Amino acid sequence: MASLSTTSLSFKAPSIQSTRIYQVLHKASSFKSISFGRFQSSKRLRLQISCAAKPETVQKVGDIVREQLALSTDTALTAESKFSALGADSLDTVEIVMALEEKFDISVEETDAQNITTIQEAADLIEDLVQKKPAAQGS
Amino acid sequence: MEEEKKFVGGWGKGNKMGERRPEDICWKERWVDVGSAVRLLDLSAMSQMQRSFSIDLPSLRLPSRRETHLWYILPDEVKSTSLLKRYSQLLSQTEKDRVDQMRGDELKKNALLARTLVRTTIARYQTNEAVDPRSLMFKKNMYGKPELDWQNCNVQPLHFNISHTDSLIACGVTVHVPVGIDVEDKERKIKHDVLTFAKRFYSADEVNCLATILDPEAQRKEFIKLWTLKEAYVKALGKGFSAAPFNTFTIQSNPGGYNLCKTSEITANPLEETKKCNGGWKFALLELADSHYAAVCTEDDQADEGAPMRVIVRKTIPFVEDQLILKEYFCN
Repeated sequence: MASLSTTSLSFKAPSIQSTRIYQVLHKASSFKSISFGRFQSSKRLRLQISCAAKPETVQKVGDIVREQLALSTDTALTAESKFSALGADSLDTVEIVMALEEKFDISVEETDAQNITTIQEAADLIEDLVQKKPAAQGS
Repeated sequence: MEEEKKFVGGWGKGNKMGERRPEDICWKERWVDVGSAVRLLDLSAMSQMQRSFSIDLPSLRLPSRRETHLWYILPDEVKSTSLLKRYSQLLSQTEKDRVDQMRGDELKKNALLARTLVRTTIARYQTNEAVDPRSLMFKKNMYGKPELDWQNCNVQPLHFNISHTDSLIACGVTVHVPVGIDVEDKERKIKHDVLTFAKRFYSADEVNCLATILDPEAQRKEFIKLWTLKEAYVKALGKGFSAAPFNTFTIQSNPGGYNLCKTSEITANPLEETKKCNGGWKFALLELADSHYAAVCTEDDQADEGAPMRVIVRKTIPFVEDQLILKEYFCN
């Protein structure tokens, strides 16, 4: 096979890391909890295009999660890390949400709170809420 | 078979108004655990070749109406790698994949034990033939609650629900009505101030009730108990958290037991919040292994309204040992 220089074929991500378009096809709740101890209502199939949260938001969320779940420094966290896979139960999730509310000065709806399952989802919700705050409050 | 060593009878309780009516009396049967362990097999003495499924899970009669069977495992008691390997052979591929997703050996082990508990517990309630735990299939209701796909397996239509903490995994089983259970470590520390947390998530009546408890430790314990009861209700309801946000219902603590009060949504007078406390749900709160609170919630069958719930608790290490812990009636 002819080999092409990789640079000519590479599709580089936009240099602005924070702008990433992705499609959310099916945020099913089916695989959230290994033991099915806590289940959540399944969301309808939907196509959604939105901007992902900034890396610094993801980092802050990760720090809060790490503290709430008392994770060892060995446990690497990524945006895709699932709370349930890290050992969070429903009480942990609620405490994480409360900590996020305090940190970011936002108010999360109860049903939204219970539907957060990954660090990315938490970060996205936070940025969404921060953006929607009345201008007078500032950020 | 289970040996019942000692019967400690108790006197009945009146109804929640404090009056005593013969038909309201709840009799307490407490079967004290005096080491009535049933050791099925000493696995360490058997070679791998000799083990088989059919004799390892003694069959049980189904829970009767108004009865919940509660089974629990203490992960710290399960150490044998060969036993854990045997458990992993019971799981479906999907379940194994999910166990692998857990971050850390302890979480993986607990996830494995949770699925093992569900499969082996349900397999015990066989009718005519031994049921292989591996053959059980599960599905979800339209809201995502896991259920036994009993039509496709040859088993009784049981309801079940599971809950786990780091140190205890529990599974509740009923026959006629949906069940929800939740367990929490009694010593679990809440990172936020208890009342702040309650004001944010619990109902106004529950906050008021917690606020009257002055000792912080007693208040924290009551908070945890309320959490398990509320979780158990939402899980029994089976429609997801959004169907019953925590601040839309109150778990009322009465001398006789616990009761559900739903805040009505629409009232003519917005200042008048009518509360319906007939509930339609039964609750039980117990302590397991001296370390955990466990709440059980079942739907009230119309024919059984007001009747107490009977809970039979057993501790298990599947294929190794079952231990009857208690049989108790819980009033509302």
